[in-house]
Amino acid sequence: MNRRNMLSLLGMSPALLAGLPAPAQPAEAQANGKPTRLSSTQAKIEGLNPKGTPPPIQLIPMAPRLDSLDGKTVWLVDTGFDGGGYLLEQIQLWFKTNMPAVQTIFRRKAGPYFEDDPALWKEIKGTGHAAIMAIGH
Amino acid sequence: MGIPTTPMVTRAFKELAILNVAKRGMPHLRITFTPHPVAAKTPAQLRAYVEGNDPVSGRPMMKEIVDALTVPLSDQEQKTGIVKVSVGPEMYGPDTPKNLQQFYHDNGMTDFLPIVIPTEEAVEEMFAGTSHKPDEQVGTMAGGAYPPWSYTVRQVAINAVMAGCQPQHFPVILAIASSGTPSLMSSTNSFAYAAVINGPIRDKLQMNYGIGALGPFAPSNAVIGRAWTLVSKNLANGGIPGDTYLGSQGNNLNYNNLIMAENEAASPWVPLHVQKGFKAEESVVSLFRGLGIVPGQGARGTSTDTPKYEEQFSDLFNVFTGFFGGLVVADPLIAANLKERGYDTKDRLIDWLYKNTTQTVKDYKSRDFAYGFDYPRALKGLEPYKTWYAMPDDAVIPRWPHRDDINVVVLGGQTNAFFQGGSLSYTVSVSIDKWA
Repeated sequence: MNRRNMLSLLGMSPALLAGLPAPAQPAEAQANGKPTRLSSTQAKIEGLNPKGTPPPIQLIPMAPRLDSLDGKTVWLVDTGFDGGGYLLEQIQLWFKTNMPAVQTIFRRKAGPYFEDDPALWKEIKGTGHAAIMAIGH
Repeated sequence: MGIPTTPMVTRAFKELAILNVAKRGMPHLRITFTPHPVAAKTPAQLRAYVEGNDPVSGRPMMKEIVDALTVPLSDQEQKTGIVKVSVGPEMYGPDTPKNLQQFYHDNGMTDFLPIVIPTEEAVEEMFAGTSHKPDEQVGTMAGGAYPPWSYTVRQVAINAVMAGCQPQHFPVILAIASSGTPSLMSSTNSFAYAAVINGPIRDKLQMNYGIGALGPFAPSNAVIGRAWTLVSKNLANGGIPGDTYLGSQGNNLNYNNLIMAENEAASPWVPLHVQKGFKAEESVVSLFRGLGIVPGQGARGTSTDTPKYEEQFSDLFNVFTGFFGGLVVADPLIAANLKERGYDTKDRLIDWLYKNTTQTVKDYKSRDFAYGFDYPRALKGLEPYKTWYAMPDDAVIPRWPHRDDINVVVLGGQTNAFFQGGSLSYTVSVSIDKWA
Protein backbone atom coordinates (compact mmCIF):
# COMPACT_ATOMS: atom_id res chain seq x y z
CA MET A 1 0.00 0.00 0.00
CA ASN A 2 1.44 3.37 -0.94
CA ARG A 3 1.43 6.48 1.17
CA ARG A 4 -1.47 7.97 -0.71
CA ASN A 5 -3.69 5.04 0.23
CA MET A 6 -2.35 5.00 3.77
CA LEU A 7 -3.23 8.63 4.26
CA SER A 8 -6.75 8.01 3.06
CA LEU A 9 -7.08 5.61 6.01
CA LEU A 10 -6.34 8.49 8.32
CA GLY A 11 -9.41 10.30 7.25
CA MET A 12 -6.89 12.63 5.62
CA SER A 13 -6.98 13.67 2.07
CA PRO A 14 -4.01 12.49 0.02
CA ALA A 15 -3.83 16.20 -0.78
CA LEU A 16 -1.66 16.21 2.34
CA LEU A 17 1.08 14.91 0.09
CA ALA A 18 0.85 18.11 -1.86
CA GLY A 19 0.61 20.23 1.25
CA LEU A 20 -2.88 21.39 0.44
CA PRO A 21 -5.65 21.73 2.98
CA ALA A 22 -7.69 18.54 3.15
CA PRO A 23 -11.29 19.00 2.02
CA ALA A 24 -14.14 17.62 4.07
CA GLN A 25 -14.92 14.14 2.82
CA PRO A 26 -18.27 12.46 2.39
CA ALA A 27 -19.02 9.81 4.97
CA GLU A 28 -18.84 7.09 2.35
CA ALA A 29 -15.17 7.80 1.71
CA GLN A 30 -14.01 7.79 5.31
CA ALA A 31 -12.32 5.53 7.75
CA ASN A 32 -11.50 2.12 6.36
CA GLY A 33 -12.24 3.11 2.80
CA LYS A 34 -15.21 0.77 2.39
CA PRO A 35 -17.97 2.75 0.77
CA THR A 36 -21.40 1.93 2.09
CA ARG A 37 -24.41 2.81 0.05
CA LEU A 38 -27.08 4.45 2.14
CA SER A 39 -30.30 3.45 0.48
CA SER A 40 -33.47 1.58 1.26
CA THR A 41 -37.19 1.80 0.82
CA GLN A 42 -37.80 1.76 4.59
CA ALA A 43 -38.36 4.77 6.87
CA LYS A 44 -35.21 6.81 7.01
CA ILE A 45 -33.39 8.51 9.84
CA GLU A 46 -30.12 10.36 10.30
CA GLY A 47 -27.26 9.38 12.60
CA LEU A 48 -24.64 11.68 14.09
CA ASN A 49 -20.93 11.40 13.46
CA PRO A 50 -19.34 10.01 16.67
CA LYS A 51 -15.80 11.09 15.88
CA GLY A 52 -13.75 13.43 18.03
CA THR A 53 -11.86 16.43 16.74
CA PRO A 54 -8.35 15.76 15.47
CA PRO A 55 -5.68 18.43 15.83
CA PRO A 56 -4.41 20.10 12.67
CA ILE A 57 -1.10 18.86 11.38
CA GLN A 58 1.83 21.28 11.32
CA LEU A 59 4.06 20.29 8.41
CA ILE A 60 7.72 20.15 9.41
CA PRO A 61 10.39 20.51 6.73
CA MET A 62 13.18 17.96 6.80
CA ALA A 63 16.70 19.14 7.64
CA PRO A 64 18.97 19.75 4.64
CA ARG A 65 20.87 16.65 3.59
CA LEU A 66 24.64 16.22 3.59
CA ASP A 67 26.72 16.16 0.40
CA SER A 68 28.47 13.05 1.63
CA LEU A 69 29.00 11.08 4.83
CA ASP A 70 32.78 11.02 4.36
CA GLY A 71 34.51 12.59 7.32
CA LYS A 72 31.19 13.02 9.10
CA THR A 73 29.97 11.78 12.47
CA VAL A 74 26.81 9.70 12.42
CA TRP A 75 25.03 8.96 15.69
CA LEU A 76 23.34 5.58 16.08
CA VAL A 77 20.53 5.90 18.60
CA ASP A 78 18.91 2.89 20.24
CA THR A 79 15.41 3.69 21.47
CA GLY A 80 15.38 0.70 23.83
CA PHE A 81 13.10 -1.81 22.14
CA ASP A 82 14.34 -5.38 22.13
CA GLY A 83 16.97 -5.99 19.48
CA GLY A 84 17.36 -2.42 18.29
CA GLY A 85 20.73 -1.94 19.94
CA TYR A 86 22.12 -5.16 18.49
CA LEU A 87 20.99 -4.16 15.02
CA LEU A 88 22.80 -0.84 15.38
CA GLU A 89 25.95 -2.65 16.46
CA GLN A 90 25.92 -4.45 13.12
CA ILE A 91 25.35 -1.18 11.29
CA GLN A 92 28.30 0.29 13.16
CA LEU A 93 30.44 -2.64 12.00
CA TRP A 94 29.19 -2.16 8.45
CA PHE A 95 30.31 1.46 8.42
CA LYS A 96 33.69 0.49 9.85
CA THR A 97 34.21 -2.04 7.06
CA ASN A 98 32.56 -0.35 4.12
CA MET A 99 32.75 3.39 4.86
CA PRO A 100 35.70 3.81 7.24
CA ALA A 101 35.72 7.55 6.70
CA VAL A 102 32.47 7.75 8.64
CA GLN A 103 32.76 8.06 12.40
CA THR A 104 29.88 6.48 14.31
CA ILE A 105 28.78 6.95 17.89
CA PHE A 106 26.36 4.51 19.52
CA ARG A 107 24.09 5.64 22.33
CA ARG A 108 21.03 4.21 24.02
CA LYS A 109 18.46 6.94 24.53
CA ALA A 110 17.80 7.73 28.18
CA GLY A 111 14.50 6.58 29.65
CA PRO A 112 11.90 4.23 28.21
CA TYR A 113 11.13 4.45 24.50
CA PHE A 114 8.21 6.83 24.99
CA GLU A 115 10.16 9.42 26.94
CA ASP A 116 11.81 12.31 25.18
CA ASP A 117 15.56 12.82 25.63
CA PRO A 118 16.22 16.47 24.77
CA ALA A 119 19.69 16.37 26.32
CA LEU A 120 20.73 13.69 23.86
CA TRP A 121 19.23 15.51 20.88
CA LYS A 122 21.20 18.60 21.91
CA GLU A 123 24.39 16.58 22.23
CA ILE A 124 23.87 14.94 18.84
CA LYS A 125 23.21 18.26 17.14
CA GLY A 126 26.32 19.72 18.75
CA THR A 127 28.67 16.91 17.91
CA GLY A 128 27.19 15.03 14.98
CA HIS A 129 26.25 15.56 11.36
CA ALA A 130 23.51 12.93 11.00
CA ALA A 131 21.63 10.34 13.01
CA ILE A 132 20.07 6.91 12.56
CA MET A 133 17.40 5.83 15.02
CA ALA A 134 16.64 2.16 15.32
CA ILE A 135 13.47 0.71 16.71
CA GLY A 136 13.39 -2.94 17.57
CA HIS A 137 10.77 -5.65 18.07
CA MET B 1 16.66 17.61 15.63
CA GLY B 2 17.92 19.90 12.90
CA ILE B 3 20.35 17.46 11.27
CA PRO B 4 19.63 14.71 8.74
CA THR B 5 18.04 11.82 10.59
CA THR B 6 16.52 8.59 9.40
CA PRO B 7 14.45 6.15 11.44
CA MET B 8 14.71 2.40 11.00
CA VAL B 9 11.56 0.35 11.46
CA THR B 10 10.82 -3.34 11.02
CA ARG B 11 8.59 -4.34 8.14
CA ALA B 12 5.75 -5.35 10.47
CA PHE B 13 5.24 -1.70 11.37
CA LYS B 14 5.35 -0.22 7.89
CA GLU B 15 1.81 1.16 7.97
CA LEU B 16 2.21 2.47 11.50
CA ALA B 17 5.47 4.23 10.64
CA ILE B 18 4.05 5.90 7.55
CA LEU B 19 0.92 7.05 9.34
CA ASN B 20 2.87 8.19 12.36
CA VAL B 21 5.25 10.44 10.48
CA ALA B 22 2.34 11.86 8.48
CA LYS B 23 0.35 12.68 11.59
CA ARG B 24 3.40 14.31 13.10
CA GLY B 25 3.90 16.56 10.10
CA MET B 26 6.60 14.81 8.10
CA PRO B 27 4.65 12.72 5.56
CA HIS B 28 7.72 12.20 3.38
CA LEU B 29 10.21 11.28 6.09
CA ARG B 30 12.71 8.79 4.70
CA ILE B 31 12.23 5.55 6.58
CA THR B 32 14.45 2.50 6.17
CA PHE B 33 12.79 -0.84 6.80
CA THR B 34 14.35 -4.05 8.11
CA PRO B 35 12.96 -7.57 8.16
CA HIS B 36 10.86 -8.43 11.18
CA PRO B 37 11.68 -9.15 13.96
CA VAL B 38 15.05 -7.89 15.08
CA ALA B 39 14.53 -9.14 18.63
CA ALA B 40 16.03 -12.51 19.62
CA LYS B 41 18.28 -12.67 16.56
CA THR B 42 21.94 -13.67 16.50
CA PRO B 43 24.64 -11.21 15.40
CA ALA B 44 25.00 -13.23 12.18
CA GLN B 45 21.28 -12.94 11.46
CA LEU B 46 21.31 -9.20 12.09
CA ARG B 47 24.41 -8.80 9.93
CA ALA B 48 22.51 -10.54 7.13
CA TYR B 49 19.70 -8.02 7.60
CA VAL B 50 22.16 -5.14 7.31
CA GLU B 51 23.88 -6.57 4.25
CA GLY B 52 20.54 -7.45 2.65
CA ASN B 53 17.75 -5.42 1.12
CA ASP B 54 15.16 -3.13 2.62
CA PRO B 55 12.11 -5.46 2.42
CA VAL B 56 9.82 -2.61 1.43
CA SER B 57 11.86 -0.83 -1.26
CA GLY B 58 13.85 -3.88 -2.37
CA ARG B 59 17.03 -1.77 -2.40
CA PRO B 60 20.16 -2.53 -0.35
CA MET B 61 19.41 -1.44 3.20
CA MET B 62 22.62 0.46 3.79
CA LYS B 63 22.25 2.31 0.49
CA GLU B 64 18.79 3.33 1.67
CA ILE B 65 20.30 4.71 4.85
CA VAL B 66 23.12 6.57 3.15
CA ASP B 67 20.73 8.00 0.55
CA ALA B 68 18.28 9.03 3.25
CA LEU B 69 21.00 11.19 4.76
CA THR B 70 22.59 12.52 1.59
CA VAL B 71 20.17 12.77 -1.36
CA PRO B 72 19.00 16.39 -1.68
CA LEU B 73 15.49 17.19 -0.49
CA SER B 74 12.55 17.47 -2.86
CA ASP B 75 10.15 20.40 -2.70
CA GLN B 76 7.61 18.16 -0.97
CA GLU B 77 10.07 17.32 1.77
CA GLN B 78 10.60 20.99 2.54
CA LYS B 79 6.96 22.02 2.72
CA THR B 80 5.62 23.94 5.68
CA GLY B 81 2.10 24.95 6.66
CA ILE B 82 -0.88 23.57 8.50
CA VAL B 83 -3.10 20.77 7.24
CA LYS B 84 -6.61 20.44 8.57
CA VAL B 85 -7.79 16.86 9.09
CA SER B 86 -11.38 16.06 8.28
CA VAL B 87 -13.47 13.41 10.02
CA GLY B 88 -16.35 13.76 7.61
CA PRO B 89 -19.84 15.24 7.83
CA GLU B 90 -21.67 15.89 11.05
CA MET B 91 -24.57 13.67 10.06
CA TYR B 92 -24.98 10.41 8.11
CA GLY B 93 -28.07 9.58 6.11
CA PRO B 94 -30.96 9.85 5.87
CA ASP B 95 -31.22 6.10 5.52
CA THR B 96 -32.86 3.11 7.13
CA PRO B 97 -31.74 2.09 10.63
CA LYS B 98 -30.45 -1.17 9.19
CA ASN B 99 -28.32 0.53 6.56
CA LEU B 100 -27.03 3.08 9.05
CA GLN B 101 -26.15 0.30 11.46
CA GLN B 102 -24.11 -1.32 8.72
CA PHE B 103 -22.53 2.00 7.83
CA TYR B 104 -21.23 2.53 11.37
CA HIS B 105 -19.84 -1.02 11.42
CA ASP B 106 -18.21 -0.73 8.01
CA ASN B 107 -16.47 2.47 8.96
CA GLY B 108 -14.96 1.15 12.17
CA MET B 109 -17.07 3.19 14.56
CA THR B 110 -18.47 0.28 16.59
CA ASP B 111 -17.36 -2.84 18.45
CA PHE B 112 -19.26 -4.79 15.77
CA LEU B 113 -22.14 -5.53 18.10
CA PRO B 114 -25.44 -3.79 17.33
CA ILE B 115 -25.50 -0.15 18.35
CA VAL B 116 -28.20 2.37 19.09
CA ILE B 117 -28.23 4.79 16.16
CA PRO B 118 -27.23 8.18 17.60
CA THR B 119 -30.04 10.33 16.29
CA GLU B 120 -30.23 13.99 17.21
CA GLU B 121 -33.23 13.20 19.41
CA ALA B 122 -31.46 10.41 21.31
CA VAL B 123 -28.42 12.58 21.89
CA GLU B 124 -30.58 15.44 23.13
CA GLU B 125 -32.13 13.06 25.66
CA MET B 126 -28.65 12.07 26.87
CA PHE B 127 -27.95 15.70 27.82
CA ALA B 128 -30.54 15.32 30.59
CA GLY B 129 -27.96 13.29 32.50
CA THR B 130 -25.57 16.20 33.02
CA SER B 131 -25.61 19.87 33.94
CA HIS B 132 -22.75 20.56 31.57
CA LYS B 133 -23.37 22.32 28.27
CA PRO B 134 -23.22 20.30 25.04
CA ASP B 135 -20.40 22.38 23.60
CA GLU B 136 -18.21 22.22 26.72
CA GLN B 137 -14.82 20.67 26.14
CA VAL B 138 -14.48 17.45 28.14
CA GLY B 139 -10.88 16.56 27.46
CA THR B 140 -8.39 15.04 25.07
CA MET B 141 -7.40 11.45 24.40
CA ALA B 142 -4.67 9.93 22.28
CA GLY B 143 -5.43 6.82 20.27
CA GLY B 144 -1.94 5.47 19.90
CA ALA B 145 1.34 7.35 19.92
CA TYR B 146 -0.18 10.36 18.22
CA PRO B 147 -1.21 13.86 19.20
CA PRO B 148 -4.50 13.61 21.12
CA TRP B 149 -7.95 14.40 19.77
CA SER B 150 -10.36 16.63 21.68
CA TYR B 151 -14.07 16.26 22.31
CA THR B 152 -17.11 17.97 23.76
CA VAL B 153 -20.00 16.82 25.93
CA ARG B 154 -22.02 16.41 22.74
CA GLN B 155 -19.42 14.17 21.12
CA VAL B 156 -19.22 12.00 24.24
CA ALA B 157 -23.03 11.81 24.31
CA ILE B 158 -23.14 10.45 20.77
CA ASN B 159 -20.92 7.57 21.80
CA ALA B 160 -22.87 6.98 25.00
CA VAL B 161 -26.05 6.64 22.96
CA MET B 162 -24.38 4.18 20.60
CA ALA B 163 -23.30 2.02 23.56
CA GLY B 164 -26.84 1.82 24.89
CA CYS B 165 -26.41 4.20 27.82
CA GLN B 166 -29.30 6.02 29.46
CA PRO B 167 -28.99 9.62 30.69
CA GLN B 168 -28.33 8.43 34.26
CA HIS B 169 -25.15 6.71 33.03
CA PHE B 170 -23.85 9.82 31.30
CA PRO B 171 -21.94 11.36 34.25
CA VAL B 172 -19.92 8.15 34.55
CA ILE B 173 -19.04 8.20 30.85
CA LEU B 174 -18.13 11.87 31.02
CA ALA B 175 -15.92 11.24 34.05
CA ILE B 176 -14.09 8.44 32.24
CA ALA B 177 -13.76 10.53 29.09
CA SER B 178 -12.45 13.49 31.07
CA SER B 179 -9.59 11.33 32.34
CA GLY B 180 -8.17 11.15 28.83
CA THR B 181 -7.57 7.43 29.35
CA PRO B 182 -8.37 5.24 26.35
CA SER B 183 -9.40 1.63 26.94
CA LEU B 184 -7.58 0.55 23.80
CA MET B 185 -3.82 0.77 24.13
CA SER B 186 -1.73 0.95 20.97
CA SER B 187 1.00 -1.29 22.42
CA THR B 188 1.98 -4.56 20.76
CA ASN B 189 0.99 -6.11 24.06
CA SER B 190 -2.73 -6.70 24.36
CA PHE B 191 -3.82 -4.43 27.16
CA ALA B 192 -6.90 -4.67 29.34
CA TYR B 193 -8.55 -1.83 31.24
CA ALA B 194 -10.66 -1.73 34.36
CA ALA B 195 -12.87 0.84 36.05
CA VAL B 196 -13.75 0.55 39.73
CA ILE B 197 -16.88 2.48 40.64
CA ASN B 198 -17.53 3.59 44.20
CA GLY B 199 -20.08 5.66 46.03
CA PRO B 200 -23.85 6.22 45.81
CA ILE B 201 -23.88 6.12 42.01
CA ARG B 202 -23.58 2.32 42.19
CA ASP B 203 -27.04 1.98 43.70
CA LYS B 204 -28.52 4.81 41.71
CA LEU B 205 -27.57 2.91 38.57
CA GLN B 206 -28.50 -0.44 40.12
CA MET B 207 -25.03 -1.72 39.38
CA ASN B 208 -24.32 -5.32 40.22
CA TYR B 209 -21.67 -5.80 42.88
CA GLY B 210 -23.16 -9.03 44.24
CA ILE B 211 -23.56 -12.42 42.58
CA GLY B 212 -21.94 -12.35 39.16
CA ALA B 213 -20.62 -8.83 39.60
CA LEU B 214 -18.16 -9.20 36.76
CA GLY B 215 -20.58 -11.00 34.46
CA PRO B 216 -23.29 -9.91 32.01
CA PHE B 217 -26.03 -9.55 34.59
CA ALA B 218 -26.78 -5.85 34.89
CA PRO B 219 -27.37 -3.21 32.24
CA SER B 220 -25.26 -0.50 33.88
CA ASN B 221 -22.21 -2.74 34.26
CA ALA B 222 -22.55 -3.63 30.59
CA VAL B 223 -23.05 -0.27 28.92
CA ILE B 224 -20.55 1.78 30.92
CA GLY B 225 -17.64 -0.37 29.84
CA ARG B 226 -18.87 -0.58 26.29
CA ALA B 227 -19.18 3.18 26.07
CA TRP B 228 -15.54 3.51 27.22
CA THR B 229 -14.43 1.41 24.26
CA LEU B 230 -16.54 3.36 21.76
CA VAL B 231 -15.22 6.61 23.23
CA SER B 232 -11.70 5.30 22.76
CA LYS B 233 -12.37 4.30 19.19
CA ASN B 234 -14.26 7.32 17.99
CA LEU B 235 -13.18 10.28 20.08
CA ALA B 236 -9.48 9.35 20.06
CA ASN B 237 -9.28 7.44 16.76
CA GLY B 238 -8.07 4.44 18.72
CA GLY B 239 -8.46 0.76 18.02
CA ILE B 240 -7.48 0.74 14.36
CA PRO B 241 -5.44 -2.44 13.82
CA GLY B 242 -2.05 -1.66 12.34
CA ASP B 243 -2.39 2.04 13.09
CA THR B 244 -3.59 2.94 16.55
CA TYR B 245 -3.87 -0.64 17.81
CA LEU B 246 -1.06 -3.18 17.58
CA GLY B 247 -1.86 -5.76 20.26
CA SER B 248 -0.66 -9.01 18.80
CA GLN B 249 -3.51 -11.17 20.12
CA GLY B 250 -5.99 -8.57 21.29
CA ASN B 251 -7.91 -8.80 24.52
CA ASN B 252 -11.50 -9.97 24.89
CA LEU B 253 -11.91 -7.65 27.86
CA ASN B 254 -11.76 -4.71 25.46
CA TYR B 255 -15.40 -5.29 24.47
CA ASN B 256 -16.73 -3.75 27.65
CA ASN B 257 -13.69 -3.69 29.93
CA LEU B 258 -13.66 -4.77 33.55
CA ILE B 259 -16.33 -2.70 35.23
CA MET B 260 -16.23 -3.28 38.97
CA ALA B 261 -18.67 -1.77 41.41
CA GLU B 262 -17.19 -2.34 44.84
CA ASN B 263 -19.44 -4.15 47.33
CA GLU B 264 -18.96 -1.47 49.97
CA ALA B 265 -21.70 -2.66 52.33
CA ALA B 266 -20.30 -6.18 52.55
CA SER B 267 -16.66 -5.15 52.76
CA PRO B 268 -15.00 -4.81 56.18
CA TRP B 269 -12.56 -2.28 54.76
CA VAL B 270 -12.77 1.26 53.45
CA PRO B 271 -13.71 1.44 49.78
CA LEU B 272 -11.15 2.17 47.12
CA HIS B 273 -12.18 5.78 46.49
CA VAL B 274 -11.72 6.64 50.17
CA GLN B 275 -8.22 5.16 49.99
CA LYS B 276 -7.60 7.53 47.09
CA GLY B 277 -8.62 10.58 49.08
CA PHE B 278 -12.31 11.00 48.28
CA LYS B 279 -15.18 11.12 50.73
CA ALA B 280 -17.30 8.02 51.19
CA GLU B 281 -20.41 9.83 49.98
CA GLU B 282 -18.78 10.88 46.72
CA SER B 283 -19.24 8.87 43.54
CA VAL B 284 -15.92 8.13 41.91
CA VAL B 285 -14.52 6.04 39.08
CA SER B 286 -10.96 4.72 39.42
CA LEU B 287 -9.16 3.44 36.35
CA PHE B 288 -6.64 0.64 35.94
CA ARG B 289 -4.63 -0.64 33.01
CA GLY B 290 -2.51 -3.70 32.46
CA LEU B 291 -2.65 -7.09 30.87
CA GLY B 292 -5.71 -8.69 32.41
CA ILE B 293 -7.10 -10.65 35.30
CA VAL B 294 -6.97 -14.34 36.20
CA PRO B 295 -8.92 -16.46 38.70
CA GLY B 296 -7.15 -17.60 41.84
CA GLN B 297 -9.54 -20.08 43.39
CA GLY B 298 -8.27 -23.48 44.35
CA ALA B 299 -4.91 -22.58 45.84
CA ARG B 300 -3.80 -24.09 49.12
CA GLY B 301 -5.69 -23.58 52.31
CA THR B 302 -9.09 -22.82 50.88
CA SER B 303 -10.65 -25.98 52.33
CA THR B 304 -9.06 -25.69 55.77
CA ASP B 305 -10.11 -23.74 58.81
CA THR B 306 -7.11 -21.45 58.41
CA PRO B 307 -7.01 -20.45 54.76
CA LYS B 308 -3.98 -18.39 53.81
CA TYR B 309 -5.58 -16.11 51.30
CA GLU B 310 -2.73 -13.66 51.38
CA GLU B 311 -0.34 -16.43 50.35
CA GLN B 312 -2.69 -17.39 47.56
CA PHE B 313 -2.73 -13.82 46.30
CA SER B 314 1.03 -13.81 46.40
CA ASP B 315 1.25 -17.10 44.47
CA LEU B 316 -0.99 -15.68 41.81
CA PHE B 317 0.95 -12.46 41.45
CA ASN B 318 4.19 -14.38 41.10
CA VAL B 319 3.15 -15.41 37.62
CA PHE B 320 2.89 -11.77 36.59
CA THR B 321 5.77 -9.60 35.45
CA GLY B 322 5.49 -7.03 38.20
CA PHE B 323 5.67 -4.34 35.55
CA PHE B 324 2.01 -3.67 36.15
CA GLY B 325 0.42 -3.31 39.54
CA GLY B 326 -1.31 -6.09 41.41
CA LEU B 327 -5.06 -5.79 41.85
CA VAL B 328 -6.71 -8.16 44.33
CA VAL B 329 -10.41 -8.63 43.57
CA ALA B 330 -11.77 -10.54 46.56
CA ASP B 331 -15.20 -11.79 47.49
CA PRO B 332 -16.50 -10.32 50.78
CA LEU B 333 -16.13 -13.79 52.36
CA ILE B 334 -12.39 -13.55 51.89
CA ALA B 335 -12.21 -9.99 53.09
CA ALA B 336 -14.12 -10.92 56.26
CA ASN B 337 -11.83 -13.87 56.92
CA LEU B 338 -8.73 -11.78 56.43
CA LYS B 339 -10.06 -9.20 58.85
CA GLU B 340 -10.69 -11.91 61.45
CA ARG B 341 -7.08 -12.97 61.00
CA GLY B 342 -5.70 -9.53 61.73
CA TYR B 343 -5.82 -7.69 58.44
CA ASP B 344 -8.06 -4.98 59.81
CA THR B 345 -7.29 -2.64 56.91
CA LYS B 346 -6.53 -3.01 53.23
CA ASP B 347 -3.22 -1.31 53.94
CA ARG B 348 -2.14 -4.08 56.28
CA LEU B 349 -2.85 -6.66 53.59
CA ILE B 350 -1.03 -4.55 51.00
CA ASP B 351 1.98 -4.28 53.31
CA TRP B 352 2.13 -8.05 53.64
CA LEU B 353 1.84 -8.60 49.90
CA TYR B 354 4.55 -6.05 49.13
CA LYS B 355 7.01 -7.64 51.57
CA ASN B 356 6.25 -11.25 50.76
CA THR B 357 5.74 -11.32 47.01
CA THR B 358 9.31 -11.42 45.80
CA GLN B 359 11.63 -12.39 42.99
CA THR B 360 15.35 -12.73 42.43
CA VAL B 361 17.26 -10.01 40.67
CA LYS B 362 18.16 -12.52 37.97
CA ASP B 363 14.51 -13.26 37.22
CA TYR B 364 13.69 -9.59 37.29
CA LYS B 365 16.40 -8.60 34.85
CA SER B 366 15.45 -11.36 32.45
CA ARG B 367 12.04 -9.82 31.74
CA ASP B 368 11.70 -7.72 28.63
CA PHE B 369 9.68 -5.10 30.46
CA ALA B 370 12.62 -4.62 32.81
CA TYR B 371 14.99 -4.21 29.90
CA GLY B 372 12.77 -1.83 27.98
CA PHE B 373 11.47 0.31 30.81
CA ASP B 374 13.23 -0.18 34.13
CA TYR B 375 16.82 -0.49 32.96
CA PRO B 376 16.79 2.97 31.33
CA ARG B 377 15.25 4.31 34.52
CA ALA B 378 18.11 2.72 36.45
CA LEU B 379 20.57 4.44 34.13
CA LYS B 380 18.87 7.74 34.96
CA GLY B 381 19.37 7.04 38.65
CA LEU B 382 15.72 6.43 39.52
CA GLU B 383 14.95 4.20 42.48
CA PRO B 384 14.42 1.40 43.18
CA TYR B 385 15.66 0.46 39.70
CA LYS B 386 19.17 1.85 40.25
CA THR B 387 19.60 -0.19 43.44
CA TRP B 388 18.04 -3.31 41.97
CA TYR B 389 20.33 -3.27 38.94
CA ALA B 390 23.37 -2.93 41.24
CA MET B 391 22.41 -5.98 43.34
CA PRO B 392 23.74 -9.53 42.77
CA ASP B 393 21.64 -11.92 40.72
CA ASP B 394 20.62 -14.05 43.70
CA ALA B 395 19.41 -11.11 45.78
CA VAL B 396 15.68 -11.13 46.54
CA ILE B 397 13.65 -8.03 45.78
CA PRO B 398 9.93 -7.13 45.86
CA ARG B 399 7.78 -8.08 42.90
CA TRP B 400 6.65 -4.46 42.54
CA PRO B 401 8.79 -1.32 42.66
CA HIS B 402 6.42 0.45 45.05
CA ARG B 403 3.96 -0.58 47.74
CA ASP B 404 1.32 1.62 46.09
CA ASP B 405 1.42 -0.65 43.05
CA ILE B 406 -0.93 -3.00 44.95
CA ASN B 407 -4.66 -2.35 45.29
CA VAL B 408 -7.58 -4.28 46.75
CA VAL B 409 -11.23 -4.25 45.68
CA VAL B 410 -14.03 -6.22 47.33
CA LEU B 411 -16.95 -7.46 45.26
CA GLY B 412 -19.06 -10.55 44.79
CA GLY B 413 -22.12 -12.29 46.17
CA GLN B 414 -20.55 -14.43 48.92
CA THR B 415 -21.57 -17.70 47.32
CA ASN B 416 -17.90 -18.74 47.19
CA ALA B 417 -14.63 -17.49 48.68
CA PHE B 418 -13.54 -16.57 45.21
CA PHE B 419 -10.87 -14.13 44.20
CA GLN B 420 -9.14 -12.93 41.09
CA GLY B 421 -5.80 -11.27 40.57
CA GLY B 422 -5.26 -8.51 38.09
CA SER B 423 -2.01 -7.53 36.42
CA LEU B 424 -3.39 -4.03 36.49
CA SER B 425 -1.94 -0.68 37.50
CA TYR B 426 -3.98 2.05 39.12
CA THR B 427 -3.86 5.22 37.04
CA VAL B 428 -6.37 7.83 38.22
CA SER B 429 -9.61 8.45 40.10
CA VAL B 430 -12.18 10.90 38.78
CA SER B 431 -15.22 12.39 40.48
CA ILE B 432 -18.46 11.33 38.83
CA ASP B 433 -20.42 13.92 40.79
CA LYS B 434 -18.61 16.73 38.99
CA TRP B 435 -20.10 15.54 35.74
CA ALA B 436 -23.66 15.09 36.98
